[in-house]
Amino acid sequence: MDANAVYARALSRAFGGALLFSFPLLMTMEMWSLGIAVERWRLLVFLLLTLPMLIGLSYYAGFEPTFRLKDEVLDALAAFGVGFLLAAVLLGVFGVLRRDDILTQAGLGKIALCAAPAAVGALLAGKQLGERGPGAREKERAGPLSELFLMAVGAAFLAFNVAPTEEMVLIAYQMGPWATLALVAISILLLHVFVYQLGFPGETRRREAGDFRRTFVAFTCPGYGVALLMSLYLLWTFGRTDGVAAHEIATMTVVLGFPAAIGAATARLVI
Amino acid sequence: MAQKPKAASRSPASRSKGPPKPAPVKETPALEWASAAVGLALAATAIGFTAWDALFGAKGPPAIEVKLVEVTPTAHGYVAQVEAFNHGGEPAAQVQIEGVLSSQGAQQTSGFTIDYVAEGSKASGGLVFEKDPRAGELMLRATGFADAS
Repeated sequence: MDANAVYARALSRAFGGALLFSFPLLMTMEMWSLGIAVERWRLLVFLLLTLPMLIGLSYYAGFEPTFRLKDEVLDALAAFGVGFLLAAVLLGVFGVLRRDDILTQAGLGKIALCAAPAAVGALLAGKQLGERGPGAREKERAGPLSELFLMAVGAAFLAFNVAPTEEMVLIAYQMGPWATLALVAISILLLHVFVYQLGFPGETRRREAGDFRRTFVAFTCPGYGVALLMSLYLLWTFGRTDGVAAHEIATMTVVLGFPAAIGAATARLVI
Repeated sequence: MAQKPKAASRSPASRSKGPPKPAPVKETPALEWASAAVGLALAATAIGFTAWDALFGAKGPPAIEVKLVEVTPTAHGYVAQVEAFNHGGEPAAQVQIEGVLSSQGAQQTSGFTIDYVAEGSKASGGLVFEKDPRAGELMLRATGFADAS
């Protein structure tokens, strides 16, 4: 088949994936108001982090079986374009952008914030909805660092779906210290069970790494650490930590760390 | 390139054994370049604009100007459509807009709340009066707001 036609199919898949992964966010009110309210510097950091994250992700799950840096960069850029266009069109149709000029902070902020998860969806779709199965190359490449990277992306992605909502703050206010500690324990337990006990992809190789204590220290703990870091970063980006007491920030991080931990554990499923 | 090489991850050359194409490096389709270029342009716009805004955008608290757009007499009072523009450097939330109409010695106050007015952006709403605002003196202002984040 013509290379362009093949690529066009991959591109359509990417739009499908972007839609699938980002529509809950596009239809969440807080995402629109955060597009206005997020501090410009934090939005800039967020956008600047998105691109290398997409390149890294493309390395594992690009919508083309690529091997070279040039292709990863091209795929990442295309995915960002897909995410941006999809977010712009859907937000436009939903009437969210009705009163904003596209090149004001209000318009661009809303689109840019939604473009990132849509771009991740676009990249993942290439593999998820694609014809090829998980290639040998991904498994070979999954060293400890790339394992952490994938966990971080999975954590950020799942946490991002709920991070903008008011509920994260509300839940944190409702929970006492003991409930918080219990949630930490549940998150770590789920993370460990999901990754090592339920027979998800990559499990065998990890089990070979050693006994329970060894895998717990070498994989589960760093995984939860990454999940908490991602939660804290997202909360900071959305301005949820400003002027809040340290223990409330900790509680919020743990609350958001719950979906983040599940995301980290299941990253291998999706990516 | 519909076929994915099954083994030997690193070398693209390994798959050139099967197909007749001898080129060890695969051609990047024009469409791939094009879509990447679109992505680059959009990313550069988003990042560039945000950076410009962060560096050189207006600083300072929200400064909200309220002005009258149009008055329409309806069966349920005079509707004064107003527009709020934020000249400041930060977005404002829950902006309370108030209009005081003084005509023939009597005063009537109307108001409404706007969820968000971003900096450099406008939002609009309506005030309803019993008497014609065009006949009297209408004072419009934003009486307060909450920080957006």
